[in-house]
Amino acid sequence: MKSKTANLFYFIPYSLWLFLFVVAPVALILYNSFLDINHHFTLANYTTFFKSGTYLMMTLNSLWYALLITLVTLLISYPTAYLLSHLKHKQLWLLLIILPTWINLLLKAYAFIGIFNQTGVANQFLSFIGVGPQQLLFTNFSFIFVATYIQIPFMIMPIFNAMEDLNQSYINASHDLGATNWQTFRRVIWPMTLPGVKAGVQTVFIPSLSLFMLTRLIGGNKVITLGTAIEEHFLITMNWGMGSTIGVVLIVAMVIIMVLTGDAKSRGGFQK
Amino acid sequence: MAQPIVKLNHVSKSYGDSTVLKDINLELEAGKFYTLLGPSGSGKTTILQTISGFTSVDAGDVYFDGQRINELPPNRRKVNTVFQDYALFPNMNVFDNVAFGLTLQNVKKAEITRRVTSALKSVHLNGYGNREISELSGGQKQRVAIARAIIMEPKMLLLDEPLSALDAKLRRDMQYELRELQQRLGITFLFITHDQEEALAMSDEIFVMNDGVILQSGTPVDIYDEPINHFVANFIGESNILNGVMREDYVVEFVGKRFECEDAGMRPNEPVEVVMRPEDLTITTVENGKLVVTIDTQLFRGDYYEIAATDDDGNEWLIHSTNSVPDNSRVGVTFAPNDIHVMRFNESEEDFDARLETYETDD
Amino acid sequence: MTKRFKFSNLYLLVVFIILYAPILFLIAFSFSEGDSMSHFQGFTLSHYSALLRDSRLIIIVLQTLLIALLSSLFATIIGTLGALGINQTSRTITRNTILSFNNILIVSPDVIIGASFLIFFTALQLPLGFSTVLLSHIAFSIPIVVLMVLPKLRELGTSMVSAAADLGATNWQILSKIVFPFITPGILSGFFMALTYSLDDFAVTFFVTGNGFSTLSVEIYSRARQGISLEINALSGVLFVFSLLLVVGYYFLNQYQQSRKLKRTTREEDIL
Repeated sequence: MKSKTANLFYFIPYSLWLFLFVVAPVALILYNSFLDINHHFTLANYTTFFKSGTYLMMTLNSLWYALLITLVTLLISYPTAYLLSHLKHKQLWLLLIILPTWINLLLKAYAFIGIFNQTGVANQFLSFIGVGPQQLLFTNFSFIFVATYIQIPFMIMPIFNAMEDLNQSYINASHDLGATNWQTFRRVIWPMTLPGVKAGVQTVFIPSLSLFMLTRLIGGNKVITLGTAIEEHFLITMNWGMGSTIGVVLIVAMVIIMVLTGDAKSRGGFQK
Repeated sequence: MAQPIVKLNHVSKSYGDSTVLKDINLELEAGKFYTLLGPSGSGKTTILQTISGFTSVDAGDVYFDGQRINELPPNRRKVNTVFQDYALFPNMNVFDNVAFGLTLQNVKKAEITRRVTSALKSVHLNGYGNREISELSGGQKQRVAIARAIIMEPKMLLLDEPLSALDAKLRRDMQYELRELQQRLGITFLFITHDQEEALAMSDEIFVMNDGVILQSGTPVDIYDEPINHFVANFIGESNILNGVMREDYVVEFVGKRFECEDAGMRPNEPVEVVMRPEDLTITTVENGKLVVTIDTQLFRGDYYEIAATDDDGNEWLIHSTNSVPDNSRVGVTFAPNDIHVMRFNESEEDFDARLETYETDD
Repeated sequence: MTKRFKFSNLYLLVVFIILYAPILFLIAFSFSEGDSMSHFQGFTLSHYSALLRDSRLIIIVLQTLLIALLSSLFATIIGTLGALGINQTSRTITRNTILSFNNILIVSPDVIIGASFLIFFTALQLPLGFSTVLLSHIAFSIPIVVLMVLPKLRELGTSMVSAAADLGATNWQILSKIVFPFITPGILSGFFMALTYSLDDFAVTFFVTGNGFSTLSVEIYSRARQGISLEINALSGVLFVFSLLLVVGYYFLNQYQQSRKLKRTTREEDIL
């Protein structure tokens, strides 16, 4: 009985938070998506979204860019995590991978403004090798490049952890049964580190849909993501209804990603 | 002797500062059940890994079936391992685990199914193919691990402490099963354990290891009856070990008395150690006893009483007896000359064998 | 064998160079005379002295730190209590439901959190500024603290608590003598994570801050949009050294804790 009251006591501030800052905001964004500028109930936001090609194109674009960023990040991070997990002082090296994430994201974006500038080092290099200066800043390429750069550590971490959970004896067993390195990778290492990959994809893909500060600073206004559109509707055109509608779309996209990569956790428990 | 299936020739291995194998020489005949027995850290797993290929040796040669295999990667060696933690792939079910090795070799599906079924049958797991690994008990995992290895039809099976995670009852069952499996398959088993009872029960031949050295090899009976030194005597079975002096051939003196024994070939008056197994000591009356002891305590072990006693000089004795003896009573202890086993200090296995030759042929 | 080893080291080296080059580039130019990031023009500390004289920026730094410390403190308290509560819920369904609600703010894109909080605060007619930023930071830090403390509570298990109760400890004694000392590492890392999330946040703050109040991220964003100012480079130099110190401190704290744990277990073995 005592523990019941104690339980209640713990829960008061926490449930208050759950209600006020989790349930209420989500409900409010859903509610707002059905309001027009004059706060009247309407379905217009949704019809606009699904009928005008621009919003759909923008959504597709945003998904496509997020997919590209995730794929490139994965391609770079998986081997990195694998090699890291075989190093001697791996925890220290991992810390060095994490360290750049402690530098404010905007400072890193700002660094790339300097690097991709008309007269920046990237163009100096291109001139040096004879290609000649290119427009790098405010392009799709620079957006994908910088986003990938920022996301790499977040992909490496979960994959590294999955590698750490992968006992060496599984790899030995596979070799013992006659598997080559490639067969061992395909049949044992990859499937057993897949939960880490899925977790990484989750942590990279979803934010990549909404990196509006990068599109503003690096991508100019040429690359529009769902996040940029939301920011624009909320803070510039003040059309919260439409902004909320796009927000709902982003939430739906997020849920779909979560479901697709969802068995990451339930499968993750197999170590026991 | 026929061509050995495995031969280690002056093999050494060290990790950093610690030497785990010191000049190991070892030959294994095909079709026998061998056991590497020793405490943890004695180097037995390292020997296994030099054969399976997961450890490269620093010096010496490893031969398998007459061929030097030092540089051969594990996936091309014709041995398979049953790992200590089983290492069953958790992302595959029982069938896929057992089939794993065959699926790498373009074996036809029907053939795989047939062989997996038969491998599962031979470890008494018919019908378990669709189970997930996480649904299995420790003993079942053990069987799957064995099936996964024997399906490859290796010439030799390496077993790295495979029974250490099982409870006592299951362990005993598996000891019978492994022994029976080895005899049925007719392939060489190299079994690792730190459990001397297990080693004695299952093996054709035992290698006792400590500190990276093979101290003694031989049949279970040889090793039990004629341990080469204090370590082996202590590690294998219960024993009473006493300091003594070899007065002359076939006469040893300990606890202040001279006794007839069956050992010879030592210097006169050489200091030695004497081993007497508790079950070789017989309790009798004080008058008939070669020794007189006072009973301290006794524990009932089911098939015998384990009795702790002290003689008049203060030496402690361990005696196994089928009958209970009252505490604090004075009794006599008797034994035959061949119950006494004399060990020289620092005698190598070659010298030990050579010395035995000199007088045992006389008989 | 050795060849592959070299190649893998080369790969890791390249990844590390990519991760650190932009940051080092940024810092290098903080010592450059002139006002662009194109050509290094001679060593100077003038940007650092400009930074020190920039009272607006210093006030913003202090505000950022204040927000981070206060929000982490509140989040740690509420989150720890929440974790205790969740840990005591006996029904798995209830617990899993609470946990999935808990995780909503962790997986949601910043933009959604920012936009929904903005709607929420506006609906409550709270004036945007210090208080709304603080509330938002507390809100998005709580679930992180919960996730850091909960595994520790699980590790604690029930047997130790039962043993304490068996020996006659009251609920409060159990909590203060057994539970809190045991979960302190989890609470500390929760606080630490909350701190970094708060310091790092841009998007949420950007949505819920009014005109009068700013944090470092928001300030960097608005300055970066105006182009290159080497004062920002100087700022990143200072922040980099600051994070480096934190990481090194964290690493050694970890090592220390582990070695203590190791010592303790070896001592236990001695006793046994």
